[in-house]
Amino acid sequence: MQRKRIHMMMLAGGLLGGMLMAMPVMAADPAPAAPSAADAEKAAKEKALAEAKAAAPADGAMLANTCAGCHGTNGVSAGPSMPSIAGMPAKYLEHIMSEFQSGKRPSTIMGRIAKGYTEEETKRIAEYLSKAKWQPVKSGPNSLTATKVDEAKGKKGKKVIESSKCGKCHEDEGVTQDEDTPRVAGQWVDYLVIKMQDFKNEHLSVPQPEKMKKAIDKLSAEELESAAHFYAGQK
Amino acid sequence: MMNFTRRGFVKLTGGLTALGLVSVPNLSAFASAKKRVVVVGGGYGGSVAAKYIRMADPNIQVTLIEKNKDYYSGPLSNWVVAGFRKLEVQKWGYEGLKKHGIDVVIDEVTAVDPAGNSVTTASGKKFEYDRLILSPGIGFKAMEGYDAEAQKKMPHAWIAGEQTTLLAKQLQELKDGDPFVLVAPPDPYRCPPGPYERASLVAHYLKKNKPKSKVIILDPKDKFSKMGLFTQGWKNLYGYETDKSLIEWIPGAQGGKVTRIDAKTMTVYTDMAEFKSSCINVIPPNKAGDIAEKAGLTDDKGFCPINFETFESTKQKNIHVIGDASAATGLPKSGYAANSEAKVCAAAVVALLNGKPVGIPSYVNTCYSLISPDYGISVAGVYKLHQGKILEVSGGVSSDKAMDFTRNQEALYNESWYQSIMADTFS
Repeated sequence: MQRKRIHMMMLAGGLLGGMLMAMPVMAADPAPAAPSAADAEKAAKEKALAEAKAAAPADGAMLANTCAGCHGTNGVSAGPSMPSIAGMPAKYLEHIMSEFQSGKRPSTIMGRIAKGYTEEETKRIAEYLSKAKWQPVKSGPNSLTATKVDEAKGKKGKKVIESSKCGKCHEDEGVTQDEDTPRVAGQWVDYLVIKMQDFKNEHLSVPQPEKMKKAIDKLSAEELESAAHFYAGQK
Repeated sequence: MMNFTRRGFVKLTGGLTALGLVSVPNLSAFASAKKRVVVVGGGYGGSVAAKYIRMADPNIQVTLIEKNKDYYSGPLSNWVVAGFRKLEVQKWGYEGLKKHGIDVVIDEVTAVDPAGNSVTTASGKKFEYDRLILSPGIGFKAMEGYDAEAQKKMPHAWIAGEQTTLLAKQLQELKDGDPFVLVAPPDPYRCPPGPYERASLVAHYLKKNKPKSKVIILDPKDKFSKMGLFTQGWKNLYGYETDKSLIEWIPGAQGGKVTRIDAKTMTVYTDMAEFKSSCINVIPPNKAGDIAEKAGLTDDKGFCPINFETFESTKQKNIHVIGDASAATGLPKSGYAANSEAKVCAAAVVALLNGKPVGIPSYVNTCYSLISPDYGISVAGVYKLHQGKILEVSGGVSSDKAMDFTRNQEALYNESWYQSIMADTFS
């Protein structure tokens, strides 16, 4: 293509000559201007990226271990605003990752990360983490920010979750988990509070079941915080 | 003890080999009830490599040699400089790694013998290995006038610990009206957004405590990591590009490159001007930690070229280099990248020692910076190896349109990132 266009330009240039050259060439050749070297480089880079993305996946351990820097070794989080994801159902993790990837689920950083994985890679990560053993979170030795479970707040929280019927989905005091429902028992107080704030945040529209949205919208920040203390306090 | 008997055995069989009585493959088959890995350097890279090798294969004997009893994390140490975090919470020890069955030796490796597959330490001990993993972090290239004595007066604070405390103290003692001069390094260097996070947090401190002072960044570069987000944050918080700005950035194109340093008079010189202050933070050009250079692993840029699949040196067999010291082109020199490289390397070493094919690698980087204590930004990347190159298949920086609550959340995530990655490293 490129060579052909150059030939045409040379021909036209030769025929028309001098100051007339540029305009008639444009008129005679309605095709877009020849791609610049920068464009060609960009196209090659994009092609290589697309190929890299589609290239054979690493195994589950290799892929999932890259999560540990934020979510802890084998998904057991040591950071109070990062969720523990060890032992969560594979289908649930896959589903959340796909929502991060499509942008349906708002995030600060997970969207940028989730987009880096193919469906197969996401599946491998989810399967690997689902086989890890859940452990109730415990604050790292140097954590300044982790909120400790407050039993009095947890008692209030129990009433809140009973009146809001949270237990209809988050059964067994938040221990139950399935494809749509994450385990919340033994999770970080801070993480649960942040997430419930997100659920209420009109700027975010986090995907959530209608009945959960209704329940959460009715609750005050204080009530939500107490519910977080209740669930975080369960083993 | 184990080492001693094995060494005795190797000496004996080595003698027999020399006489042609025992062939080398037989020796390794017989002696390799346990394969030996020596890891040098117990930071974000080395500790993780040691731990993940043991997690994947408890039959491998892993010795971690680290020169300091306590480790001080570089990430989050800018918070200490700016006075809103104690150095104590940057400190980590090696008890947790011992629980994985790692032999932790506090000693300094002074020589590597690639031909003899061994390292020796300052205290005169010798450790033999089947595979050596070096994670020595960074060293500094020469800069005129910036020697060991000058470091005590103009701290780099680019290796956390005493240097961090020193810079924090100088900032506390800075006279209101005097500048905090930050000499930024040329690429490539440890923690690309680090100097600019430091400038931000020092500005945050000055705003409250010394409003007549400002940060002057003298930079040999014309652009830097997360630049758009930093300058946006500086405009929001520190009057950047106004005559009352708490931060002034002088890029290379405007004469920001420092050419000479005089610690006696506390002055740094560029081609165009000189800057004096009681508080000058000099971050010199980086290179791989000294031991990597000594072992003949570095290239002309001062870092260690490696195979991206295994992190094995392209210069010496059976020696792997990870973290800031490696030339892992495509990945940034960050703590998270070191963690990720360590895991790729660990998996490869386990495969190699078991005679299995090396698996496909996957790498991730996640890095947070604070512009103020409740204003966080991030960069993330997912990387794959394709046709010999590490390519970022997804990633990027935080949105420049993020609202305050998002900046606030990213600041919270920064601390949690630290807790989880430190747990992944040391427990």
